[in-house]
Amino acid sequence: MEKKFGVYICKGCNIAETVDIEKLKKSASIAAKIPADSVREHQILCSPEGLELIKNDVSAGTNTLIIGACSPRVKFEEFDFPGAIVERVNLREFVSWTSDPMTEATQTLADDYMKMGIIKTQKGSLPEPNILPDLSNSILVIGGGITGLTAALEAANAGYQVTLVEKEAELGGWSAKLYKEAPRAYPYEKLDEPMIFDTIREVEAHSGIKVYKSTMVEKTDGQPGLFDVTLTGNGSTETIKIGAIVMAAGWTPYDATKLGHLGYGHPNVITNVQMEEMAKKGGIVRPSDGKPAMKVAFIQCAGSRDANHLPYCSSFCCATSLKQAKYVREKSADAIAMIFYKDIRTPGQSELFYKNMQNDPGVLLTKGDVTGIADAGNGNLFVEAENTLLGEKISVEADLVVLATGIVPATRAPQEYLDGLSEAGKKGDDAKKAYLEETAKPDYILNLGYRQGPEIPTLEGAYGFADSNFICFQYETRRTGIYSAGCVRQPMNMSEAAQDASGAALKAIQCVEHVAKGIAVHPRAWDVTYPDPMMIRCTSCKRCTEECPFGAIDEDEKGTPFYRINRCRRCGTCMGACPERIVAFKDFSVDIVGSMIKGVDINEDDFRIIVLACENDACPALDSAAIKRMKLNPAVRIIPVRCLGSTNLVWVTDAFSTGIDGMILLGCKYGENYQCHFVKGSELANYRFSKVKETLDKLQLESDRCQLMQVSISDYDKLPQMINDFVERVEEIGPNPFKEF
Amino acid sequence: MTEQIKPDLNFINSVINAGGESLKKCYQCSTCTVVCNVTPDDKPFPRKEMVQAQWGMKDKLFGNPDIWLCHQCSDCTAYCPRGAKPGEVLGAIRKLSIEEFSVPGFLARMVNQPKFLLVLLAAPVLLYTLIIASQGFFTDGVPTENGKIVFGKFLFSLYYVDTVFTAAALFAVFSLYLGVTKYWRAMAAANGGVSSGDFGKALSDTFMDILGHNRFKKCEVTKDRATAHMLVFYSFIGLFITTILAFARVIPEYIHHLHLSEGIDVHMLDWLAYIYKPIGNVSAAALVLGIFLMMSNRFKNQGKAGLGSYYDWLFISLVAGVGISGLLAQFLRMANTVAAYPTYVAHLCLVFFLFAYAPFSKMAHMAYRTTALVYSRQTGRDTGN
Repeated sequence: MEKKFGVYICKGCNIAETVDIEKLKKSASIAAKIPADSVREHQILCSPEGLELIKNDVSAGTNTLIIGACSPRVKFEEFDFPGAIVERVNLREFVSWTSDPMTEATQTLADDYMKMGIIKTQKGSLPEPNILPDLSNSILVIGGGITGLTAALEAANAGYQVTLVEKEAELGGWSAKLYKEAPRAYPYEKLDEPMIFDTIREVEAHSGIKVYKSTMVEKTDGQPGLFDVTLTGNGSTETIKIGAIVMAAGWTPYDATKLGHLGYGHPNVITNVQMEEMAKKGGIVRPSDGKPAMKVAFIQCAGSRDANHLPYCSSFCCATSLKQAKYVREKSADAIAMIFYKDIRTPGQSELFYKNMQNDPGVLLTKGDVTGIADAGNGNLFVEAENTLLGEKISVEADLVVLATGIVPATRAPQEYLDGLSEAGKKGDDAKKAYLEETAKPDYILNLGYRQGPEIPTLEGAYGFADSNFICFQYETRRTGIYSAGCVRQPMNMSEAAQDASGAALKAIQCVEHVAKGIAVHPRAWDVTYPDPMMIRCTSCKRCTEECPFGAIDEDEKGTPFYRINRCRRCGTCMGACPERIVAFKDFSVDIVGSMIKGVDINEDDFRIIVLACENDACPALDSAAIKRMKLNPAVRIIPVRCLGSTNLVWVTDAFSTGIDGMILLGCKYGENYQCHFVKGSELANYRFSKVKETLDKLQLESDRCQLMQVSISDYDKLPQMINDFVERVEEIGPNPFKEF
Repeated sequence: MTEQIKPDLNFINSVINAGGESLKKCYQCSTCTVVCNVTPDDKPFPRKEMVQAQWGMKDKLFGNPDIWLCHQCSDCTAYCPRGAKPGEVLGAIRKLSIEEFSVPGFLARMVNQPKFLLVLLAAPVLLYTLIIASQGFFTDGVPTENGKIVFGKFLFSLYYVDTVFTAAALFAVFSLYLGVTKYWRAMAAANGGVSSGDFGKALSDTFMDILGHNRFKKCEVTKDRATAHMLVFYSFIGLFITTILAFARVIPEYIHHLHLSEGIDVHMLDWLAYIYKPIGNVSAAALVLGIFLMMSNRFKNQGKAGLGSYYDWLFISLVAGVGISGLLAQFLRMANTVAAYPTYVAHLCLVFFLFAYAPFSKMAHMAYRTTALVYSRQTGRDTGN
């Protein structure tokens, strides 16, 4: 495509009051190498008349548009010109709303932004989608509990072929093992009969759902739209083609044998799961002698919210114990149920059930820390507790004690096993061999044929749950096209699990539809670009295959990396990682950003600071600060990047060698409460940044000239101050000595 | 020390049935103890009483002076975010504690239940019906003093009023004494023995508190109650003085009647009437005014404080009835209308009800609350601040 440039400048929203438009037009025309009078301006460029101006040019053959107006985060529907390269230069937020009007510094700032935008289009090219052949749009659901069944129904009812795999002989999971369910509808008073059996019937009768029972996933190869999933069970093995996967593998109860301090082991101390079984059999009795239980103690958070056991809240146990208290009360009007809790947590409408149960005279509640269970000698037990509402230290006799144990996600055992294996592997082959011999291998769920390992990777702070970056994106895992739902994702109750299933089914549908269009699945859901490496220069260093947060890059037999492009989220982490700098997108590459940096006007009297800002949190935060009319030092030039993970350290060298005085890498929070849209991008950037000192030392520059900052979108009010303070520090250090060269 | 908790489901149900139906709603946020102006700062009420009642810890509650330190201001009830009405629940617990300690207990259970109202009322009504029948008034008519109605001619007060009421009052005092001593022992047992504090000072401080209504004045939501209660309280004192003086006045007549001293001037103390009649009339008026204020306060505050139980309204109605029937009997007598007689009898019956059942009705609060206040003062639990 031969580029025909068109440059447009909007005068609205204060731009014309801040910048001399004539001067700006002139400098832009020089940068774009077009006649000065062909640069167009409009009072309100986003108005129908303004847009008409651009459309007429496009009709006349202009195909590379540089639009100097507002932030690309707004008016994206107005400034959409299919078939043309469009670069939005953020004059409004980054210049006129954040700088003093009509100063020389502001004018230079606007000139630089226009110039950088023009360079970007000069270096870039029009992207075309990469649509792989023979895509499947069918959906695999792993797990036949309430989550899996609901997800299967939702996807099938939306018209997608569904395969449902359940490892047990019957569908229904834990929901089918319940005696009754906590009330599902207003007024949340009466217990409901389990509803799961209707759902099972519906699934089994559905023509769009194929059910495999007593079956496991033996292998998952390929990528979204092209998964080859091998199922094994009932003595046969079958490989099917799958577009996307909903992982609803569920949970197991926490191992109560670890709760000896709460009396587990005594015949009259049982878990909530055992209580359910007992109620289903028909009686609430003392297991030791079968006498009806009249004084039942429920101990909440048994092994939960406890640093020595499960550190988290399992979310459903409070409502379950209240429900089981009702079993006790319905058996006998003289029976009492005593509940010892840390906090009663009944999320959502369960609160109304809690209120109703609390109103039952025979349901006695107290906050307290249960310190132990003692045998009362007559088969009964003394529940001993501290810090209760009733007193400092109390003891109450009970004939049955129920431990409200929490959930352990099905993903935890494989994750722990694999992490142990990789730890052992680091110690050498012997240690690895010993580990494999000594450690029982748990059931894998996915058995991925990915270079990065067979299961969803562990994330710190996720306690073995399938991490999902749930702050912004529920159901997402670090394996594109594989969505976690229900208790494998986070602890939840049945109604939440059913809702979760609908969400995950929708995500799976979104995935198959996006790969069919050749656009990124998530979160750059509009993006048709993709990483297109110049493989001839690849040294097979494998840094990209190791760093890709989504395991999108596998290796062939010779160890040469290749992309499974439908797994890719287009974050550019591989581009940042590549020491050969061979990874490029059509509109984003090491060369494009490097050239933009080099395009900044350098003069000996003024300071210039480059800010590489993450498009996901840092850029919106900067826009928000601009809306508040907070001032930015005019020395600052902001270059948006897809993710801080895409930052290639050569940009730092580029910047300082051309005379830039300082540089900020502005990314998301990483670590346990990470905010990174690509999970690991900002963390990797930070790791690479730790090497930046070497680079600066090589250039004999002060390492303080370059800084990485973590911000979240809500930090917008502090962000200008952080940046301006940095500029002041650089000014104290003094100008970059390379300016002279 | 580990405390053994023995939940009593029957007790929980009885609190609920005694007017504490909101008991179980409490979720222990302790807003009540924060807004309460009359609770001590250390181990404040009513939060702990709520959870103790929820767990059926009967002994803990009955041996507790705090249930009476509460004056049911209803600040707690007004501010309770869950509608648990701690004020009403403590009222119910107080009622049950009177039932627990009073002697004989069956009378308390009867007083607490509307279905026994007529039975209880039947006692004085039958008594006076029999007396009137025995005097032949039903057949022969009532003797008058020169055509003027004189109640003394109708029912000779020595036999038919003073004796009856002295007996009733003695029964009440004795029963209350037994109840209150049981309560005192229960408090001592629950709090590890008798206090060595100064009992006399505790007693005098308590009386000063009561006379000044210092605790009532701390109430916020129902602050008007202090005035109403003070009117009723002082009118009772006024009426007590009236009764004593009126009795003193007729002593010479009794002496004459009983032939103890033949020459006595039966009118020698008639001058006392100039003292007690104004006191009596003013007190009666204050009583009626006070009790009407109480009723109107209850209606006015029912949204925030609740309307109260049968137990509350029995007592209020009784006091109102005594005041109104007393005044009415006097006016009808002065008007010389025959209707004065049944009104007078009705008045006597109501007064009998009030006195004879005082140890079991809400009237008993004056004994139990005073006891609790003295106990709290003596143990240092409460300093009156």
